[in-house]
Amino acid sequence: MEAWNLDGMGRRAARLSTAPRFHPAVLVFVARLRRLSSLQPMFKKILVANRGEIALRVICACKELGIKTVAIFSDADRNSLHVRFADEAVCIGPSKSVDSYLKIPAVISAAEITNVDAVHPGYGFLSENAYFAEVCEACHIKFIGPPANVIRLMGDKAKAIAAMAKTGLPVLPGSNGVVGTAEEAQRVAADIGFPVIVKASAGGGGRGMRIVRSSDDLAKALATAQHEAEQAFGLSDVYIERYVERPRHIEFQVMGDNYGRVIHFGERECSIQRRHQKLLEESPSVALTAESRSRIGERVEAALSSIGYSNAGTVEFLMDDQGKFYFMEMNTRIQVEHPVTEMVTGVDLVKLQILIAGGSRLRFEDHLKPRGHAVECRINAEDPFTHVPSPGKITSFNVPGGIGVRVDTAAHTECVISPHYDSLIAKLIAHANTRPEAIRKMERALEMFVIEGIKTTIPLHQKIMRDPDFAAGRFDTKFMERYQR
Amino acid sequence: MNIKEIKELIEAVSQNGITDLEIERSGVKVRIRKEGPPVVVSPAPASPTYAYSTGYPPATLSSEAATGGSPSTSRPHPKEEENLFVVRSPIVGTFYRAPNPETEPFVKVGDTVEHGRVLCIIEAMKLMNEIEAEASGEIIGIYVENGEPVEFGQALFGIRPAGGKV
Repeated sequence: MEAWNLDGMGRRAARLSTAPRFHPAVLVFVARLRRLSSLQPMFKKILVANRGEIALRVICACKELGIKTVAIFSDADRNSLHVRFADEAVCIGPSKSVDSYLKIPAVISAAEITNVDAVHPGYGFLSENAYFAEVCEACHIKFIGPPANVIRLMGDKAKAIAAMAKTGLPVLPGSNGVVGTAEEAQRVAADIGFPVIVKASAGGGGRGMRIVRSSDDLAKALATAQHEAEQAFGLSDVYIERYVERPRHIEFQVMGDNYGRVIHFGERECSIQRRHQKLLEESPSVALTAESRSRIGERVEAALSSIGYSNAGTVEFLMDDQGKFYFMEMNTRIQVEHPVTEMVTGVDLVKLQILIAGGSRLRFEDHLKPRGHAVECRINAEDPFTHVPSPGKITSFNVPGGIGVRVDTAAHTECVISPHYDSLIAKLIAHANTRPEAIRKMERALEMFVIEGIKTTIPLHQKIMRDPDFAAGRFDTKFMERYQR
Repeated sequence: MNIKEIKELIEAVSQNGITDLEIERSGVKVRIRKEGPPVVVSPAPASPTYAYSTGYPPATLSSEAATGGSPSTSRPHPKEEENLFVVRSPIVGTFYRAPNPETEPFVKVGDTVEHGRVLCIIEAMKLMNEIEAEASGEIIGIYVENGEPVEFGQALFGIRPAGGKV
C-alpha cells in the first residue's frame, strides 16, 4: 500500500486494492491514467546538489510543487539559507568545493541515505558532469537534466560545433573539429582568413582561448594553447575558428521534454561581460526582430530535437556586425541568468525542469512572445572597478522591492560571504513594459539595495545604467573596456 | 456507524501515523489500533541563537542525534569534557558497528583502543570504509546507533585518551 501513496490518483488505487478482488485490468487502467496526468510531479523528495542562491531557487520550486527537499552543505555553509529552508540537510564535507560539492561519492551517499528520488544539480559544480549524471542513473536516482551522452557531447566544444553544424545550425568558419598539427592549423587559417582564435575543446565560458592575428604566430599559439588546455582541463584538444572582433553574445533558452519535443523561450542578450564573465543580462535583445527570433528559434528547436535533447539548456551564439549568427557552445543546464527569461515569458523554468524530469509533456502551444523587457544585474562581492574579491560579513542587507523587482539571493544580514566559492551575492532583476522603463526601474532598485560590510558591484551597475550607449542598445562584448583602469 | 465509515477510519489511521484511535457514537464503540514501532514525536531542538519558527533547524542527521530521537533509547551525546577525543565521520554514509550482522561489534563502551584500531564501518555507495581510532584510550561513548545514516563531521565515538591528554 505504501508504494501507491503518492497523489490523488494513487490514493484512489490504494482504496481499490484493499477492497475485495479487482480485475487486474482495472488496476492497470488506474496506473496508466496516472502516467498521462501531465502536471503531476512524480518525485517525493529531491536532493539539491548545490549551494547559495541557486540551491534556494530550486528549493523554492520544490516547495511550490509539494516536493520535499534535501540540502547538502559543507562546513562553511552550515548556517546558509538553503540549509535552513530545506526539509532535511546533510553535511557532506569540509569547506573546499573539491572535498564537498564536487565530491561525487559524498553527494551520492547523501542522496542514498536520505532516500531521494531525484537530484537537481543547479549550475556550476556537477551540473555538466556527464559521469555524475551516469552515477545518478546507476543508483536509480533521477538526474534533473539532459541525458548523460548529450551532456558529454556538448561538453566537448569542438564535437558540439561539429554536431550542430551537421544539423544545419550556422557555425563560424573554422576547423569544425579538433586541430592536431601546425600544418592543419595553417590550412584552416588560410581558408578562413585572419584573425583566428584557438580554443580548448574542454574549455568554454571564455577559458582556454588564444587570438592569433598572423600566420607567423600560429604554430607557437597552437602549441601553447594545447599545453595550457592539457594543464587546465585535462585534454589538449583545440579547435580554430574565425575571430569576430566586436560580437554580441546572444543566447537562446530551450527546454525539451522526454518525448522528443524541444521548444525555445526566446533569447537573452549577454554582451555586457568582463573577461568573459557576464555582468548583466537582458531579454529580449534590441538586436533581434520578431522575425529573426522566430527563424533562429525554430532552427535551434529542430537541431536539438534531432540529437535527443531534453530538459533545460542554453544555446549560445555570436552575432557579428552584419547581423549574422554563429553557434558557439551550448550549456546543458539551467543558467544564472534564467530569471530574465522567466520574467518576460511568465514561465517558471526550474519548476518546468522538475516536471519534465518527472515525465511531464511540454504543452505550450505557441512560442511565447516576450512581454515587456527584463534586465538582470549580478551583484558580486568584489570591488566594483578593480574586481578584487571582497569576502567578509555583510553587516547590513536590505533588498529593494516594488512592482517588477525580483531579487534572487541566499545572502542576509550577518551572513558571511566565503572566499571558498564564487562571489555572487544576489541577482537583481527589473521587469517593465519597455526597455527604458526597465532601466529606470533597475536604477531605482540599485539605489535602494543596501549591502554593507563588503564591497559590491552595485556602483558599477549604476554606472552602466547611466551610460548613453547602453541606453541606446549600442554595445557589444567590448563594452566593458571603457571602465577598465 | 456503517462499514463505509469504519473503512474510512481505517484509512485515516493508516495514513496519518496514528497508532491508536477510539471512537464512540450512538452506543457503538470502535477502537482501531495499528501495530508497529511506537512513533514518538520529539520537540524541535531548542536553538537559542535563532528566534525563528519551530520548523528550523531542519532535520540534520547530527542534530537529531544530539537531542536523542526517542526517549526509549537514551542516546549519549559528546559532553563538554576537557580530555575527550571525539572521532568524527570523514564521509557520508551508513554506520555499522560490526564487520557483518553475524559478528560482534568492533568495540564497545569501556574497551581500550590503540591508535589505528578499527572502530566501525561506514558504508557509502556499497563500499565499506573502515574508520580507525586517531587516539589511544578508553571508549567512553558511542553516539550513533547501528545502521544509522551519518553525515560528514558527525560525532561517532568518544575516547578518553590514555595518559589524560588529548
